[in-house]
Amino acid sequence: MIDPLEASLTIAGSGLEAQSGRLRVVAENMANANSTGTTPGSNPYRRKTITFENELDRATGVDLVKIRDIGVDRTDFRTEYEPGNPAADEKGIVKLPNVNVLLEMSDMREANRSYEANLQVVKQTRELFSMTIDLLKSSS
Amino acid sequence: MQPIYLFDLASQQARWLTVKQAVIAQNVANANTPGYVAKDIGEFEDVFDGAQLQLAATNPAHLGTDPLDPASAAEREENPWEIVYSGNSVGTEKQMLKAGKINREYSLNTSIVKAFDQMLSASVKG
Repeated sequence: MIDPLEASLTIAGSGLEAQSGRLRVVAENMANANSTGTTPGSNPYRRKTITFENELDRATGVDLVKIRDIGVDRTDFRTEYEPGNPAADEKGIVKLPNVNVLLEMSDMREANRSYEANLQVVKQTRELFSMTIDLLKSSS
Repeated sequence: MQPIYLFDLASQQARWLTVKQAVIAQNVANANTPGYVAKDIGEFEDVFDGAQLQLAATNPAHLGTDPLDPASAAEREENPWEIVYSGNSVGTEKQMLKAGKINREYSLNTSIVKAFDQMLSASVKG
């Protein structure tokens, strides 16, 4: 078992990593919000989802957050009538990704908040460290 | 007069506070993990009183009986502010408040140690 303060920093670091992974997925979804397929009638980009899990890190003996899985959203695609589109089928219907930009935005906000919370923990832990070091400084 | 083992007491409390900080770090990091239940460790008085009698771990494979081990902090947090649909009960705001409290208590702790140390060195130096 490592020092609890070191452990706090490691855990908060894993939280930061998990949340930035989530932001990456959100960015991917947003960027591909209108990516259609290339051949007529083909499927467009499918929205990706991310889940986390709590996992014991055996080297240090602390529980860290890990990205469990990056999956796909199985909901239906949006459809639009657009005969000129290269991805349109014989009826002129184009399938568009099942990305809801509003949903992605709120997900992004939440990831941002959680990231900030983890950063705050890092800051607090550093303060605890420096308080301990200050004990040595002035006690001469 | 009863002797006061202040340095020992202070270091125990500092250790308890750092463990609490580690538990809070774990809660905050798992703020979006499905099914994660927020954890906490017991109050300092309880942990300190209960720590008098401990089983000796003579082998590294022995399971820790140390109440100040973050890994054994299985106690779930009492009355969480919110439990979301995924079963996660971490309220980030509550964790931040707790972290602030730890910061204050740690500050008090180190200040007392510092003052006591000055008193001690004043009496030693004469």
